Amino acid sequence: MTPKDSWRLPLTIVFVFLGILLSAQFQVQSRLVSDLSMQKTEDLITMVRNLSDKRLQLETELIDAQSKLASIRSSRADEKKIAENLTAELNKLAIVNGTQEVKGPGLKITIPANSPVLYVDIVSIINELWAAGAEAIAVNGNRINLYTSFYYAETENYMFITLNHKPLYFPIIIEAIGNPNTLEKGLTLPGGIIDNLILFHIEPQLEQVEELTLPAVINEPFFSEAVEVKNN
Amino acid sequence: MWMPLLGLLFGAILGSAISFEIPIAYAKYMSIAVLASLDSVFGGIKSVLEDRFDGFILLTGFFSNTLLAAMLAYLGDKLGVDLYMAAVFAFGVRLFQNLATIRHHLISRTLRNLGPDKR
Repeated sequence: MTPKDSWRLPLTIVFVFLGILLSAQFQVQSRLVSDLSMQKTEDLITMVRNLSDKRLQLETELIDAQSKLASIRSSRADEKKIAENLTAELNKLAIVNGTQEVKGPGLKITIPANSPVLYVDIVSIINELWAAGAEAIAVNGNRINLYTSFYYAETENYMFITLNHKPLYFPIIIEAIGNPNTLEKGLTLPGGIIDNLILFHIEPQLEQVEELTLPAVINEPFFSEAVEVKNN
Repeated sequence: MWMPLLGLLFGAILGSAISFEIPIAYAKYMSIAVLASLDSVFGGIKSVLEDRFDGFILLTGFFSNTLLAAMLAYLGDKLGVDLYMAAVFAFGVRLFQNLATIRHHLISRTLRNLGPDKR
């Protein structure tokens, strides 16, 4: 290294350190600018004000959202209640129309074979059962609803009772769901239907059953022409 | 000629690669140190142009100036004397004087190289 070039190495070293110092200072300074404690008081006041404004706004938003949530929840609860009521109503109607298989305690009436029974007697028994509070009735496994028809058919030497235009064979078993005691009392009260039948030597056997299962009707009722008339 | 500039670049890259965790409270002393080191560097360049360069003096001057400036500013803060201001003033004035001298030398040297027998 000639004396003339001797400046290079020291100066380079110094420049390296200057570079390090400068970039360090640059970093510190950029941190300083973004540091909160180095901000102007006015700026800080504005920031605080903005932030508290924002917080207030967010709080009101939160309250709004919460009340909305509460109203939605309550309306949902209402809807649920309505749906439950409708379902209960539907179930009731299904039982009444016989579109649903039902089970429950009830009375089983067996009319033995070769009883001189007429179709009107069956109808009378069923009417009596309805009157005594039967909730569902089936005859020989055929659910009775408001479309069920009883009649009779004759051949040359024999007479059938028909149910929905199909012969009804003996023994005729009438099953009714309801309070078993009430149903039995309804039939056996003095001068009632059983007393009448006994006069004709028909002796139905009554049996209270813990649980009867009645099938649904085979043909569900349908309405194509009838339209509901709405009052008011 | 280009070696010191390359050194500066290398130092800057090195410094940005290492992240310095200097507390904000010491940033002031850091800035004084930077000012002092700048002054030293320009002094060194000036002495190169004046052909009076001494590497040892430059190196010691660079480090001692930097450290002393920072320490004096710190001491001043502790004693309640604004030595910070004095350092900024002193180094600032010397920095601009050095810059002026460097400019002067560069101009005169360029003129000497252009005109064969100027000055």
